[in-house]
Amino acid sequence: MTETLKLRVERRDGLAIIYTEGYINNQGGEQIASAAYELLEEGYKRILLNLVGTKIVNSIGISILIEIIEKMLAIDGRLAFCCLTPTIHKTFHIMGLAQYAGIYDDEAAAVEALAAA
Amino acid sequence: MVSASEQIEAGSWRRLLPLTDGEGEEHALLSSLLDLWCRERGARGAALYLDDDDASGAELSSGEGPFPAGPDATAGFERLPLPGAVLLWRPGEAGAPRTEEGGGEGEGPLSLLLALAVSNCRLLGRLKRQSFQAKYRGVELEALYDVGLAIASTLDLDLLAEDILLRAVSLLDARRGALYLLSGGVYRLQSQLGGEALESFPATAAHETPSGLLPGAEHLLAVPIAIEDDRRGILAVGDKESRSGVGPFSPEDRRTLSLFANQAAIALENARLHREALEKERYERDLQLAAEIQRQILPKGVPSVPGYEIAGWNRPAREVGGDFYDLVPVPPEEQSGENDRGLLLGLALADVSGKGVPAALMVSTLHSAIRLLFGRIGFGPRLVERLNRHILASSAPNKFITLLVGELDAASGRFTYVNAGHNPGLVIRADSHLERLPPGGLPVGLLPGSSYRSGVLDLAPGDLLCLYSDGITECASRAEEEFGEGRLVALLRAAADRPLPEIVRAVEEATDDFAAGQPQGDDQTIVLLRRSAEA
Repeated sequence: MTETLKLRVERRDGLAIIYTEGYINNQGGEQIASAAYELLEEGYKRILLNLVGTKIVNSIGISILIEIIEKMLAIDGRLAFCCLTPTIHKTFHIMGLAQYAGIYDDEAAAVEALAAA
Repeated sequence: MVSASEQIEAGSWRRLLPLTDGEGEEHALLSSLLDLWCRERGARGAALYLDDDDASGAELSSGEGPFPAGPDATAGFERLPLPGAVLLWRPGEAGAPRTEEGGGEGEGPLSLLLALAVSNCRLLGRLKRQSFQAKYRGVELEALYDVGLAIASTLDLDLLAEDILLRAVSLLDARRGALYLLSGGVYRLQSQLGGEALESFPATAAHETPSGLLPGAEHLLAVPIAIEDDRRGILAVGDKESRSGVGPFSPEDRRTLSLFANQAAIALENARLHREALEKERYERDLQLAAEIQRQILPKGVPSVPGYEIAGWNRPAREVGGDFYDLVPVPPEEQSGENDRGLLLGLALADVSGKGVPAALMVSTLHSAIRLLFGRIGFGPRLVERLNRHILASSAPNKFITLLVGELDAASGRFTYVNAGHNPGLVIRADSHLERLPPGGLPVGLLPGSSYRSGVLDLAPGDLLCLYSDGITECASRAEEEFGEGRLVALLRAAADRPLPEIVRAVEEATDDFAAGQPQGDDQTIVLLRRSAEA
């Protein structure tokens, strides 16, 4: 009996935003990957992960996020993150995600950066 | 459509590979070699299955599929084992496989190159996994450091407990967790994540953790939160995650969690002490406010009643107290009914059972009731009967009030009173003769339907009336002897001619001297009324 990650996807002019709420672990990471790959199949090459409702991510979740980043890079797409807690922000930097995916304080800044990419 | 999971697994040999431009080149090289190998062999298609430390199998394919899900021998496919991988390939139309130039079956230079490329990829993968683990170790150290910092910065116990649990669950790749704090011999759930957790459980001598702490969890790891050997709580995580499901925690996980719990213990203790300090501060603020309210209830001075001297004094044993007195002048126009009396003075002195805030709340109730009722029914037995009903209805069981109320007809000097279980008021006549105002009923709030009878005292010029609470007479010395009525009477007699404020000060000093520094055990109140000698 575990709490599952809640996802919501918004599609806007070639940009898709995935909102998460809950724990990004193995299950949560798979949910995000599934949503991201579905968006890729739909033709969205710019995806923003808004983690406003997420306070925790573990190493399995991070490895899945890295896979998504790799997949995006392979097709010349862009993935960005926004609204991270300080702990997750620090974790992403230590794990090197920040080198290959933009990390923004708020959604507006992330959307602007992705739109300009 | 291929599921996300299948897509990830299909590419899992690259999982955690470098996120660099060069990383894709290894993959491209391997793919090109496989294409070349197929052409060289005349194969219709081939799939490469790499051994993977943490995945069931992986594939890279070239040519005509579909290919088997795993690397086992399959009808219609030839099988070529390579170091760290297996190649399944579908022979070409001609039937028999062609061998490579320069080598026998499966041992040609292309197969060798393919094996080398596979080996490179595996090495690269291992390197990246180690890099990932090293980086994640950095995250662990950072988390420990952050919890250490929180000792000085996070003083909100709820937030701190949640943060500690989040970090512990995350660090150990647990699917769920719970943090308990020990209070009053019971471990109580402070924070939980990822599923249900036991709300509370009693602490045993051995501090065992119940097996059902996280209902439904297959694997549980729980460590004490303790400062030295003093248990403060339990940090528990359940079900260690991997890509293939959940499993048990390792001894290394236990060490990590214990280290984390040690840091957390100090932070939690700091937050707990801070919360206690805040609660104490808030309580003291409330008490100061209550004391101020109570000071407002007591008369701010003494009313002017021609022909009489009046004094009142109250000293609570704590910030607020259960003693109360009131002095209410009632001019003729405010008196109920028709009579020809002049100025009346209402007097009340009460002592609520107990001390502190509960007693002070009852004082407040009593004060309001007297003020509301006396204008209509005066200070006689009817007032006390109504007060008895009111206090019974509005206070906790076993709470009662001893009370002496009365009204003085200033013109005649007649004091009509009701003593509801209070210690007898004292009258020192002008000739030093002592009289007492005996009880005329039980304390109010004790029994329903209590009845009260009034008494009458006629004050002559020079007579001194003293109403007091038992905090005066029961004031204890170091030898646990009580000050007693006798000392009070002696003091009143000796000082009977002095101004009333001086008599009050004399009582205060005498009881203080008697107590000799002993803490004041009870609230102390005294009201003095003297009919002027020249009246």
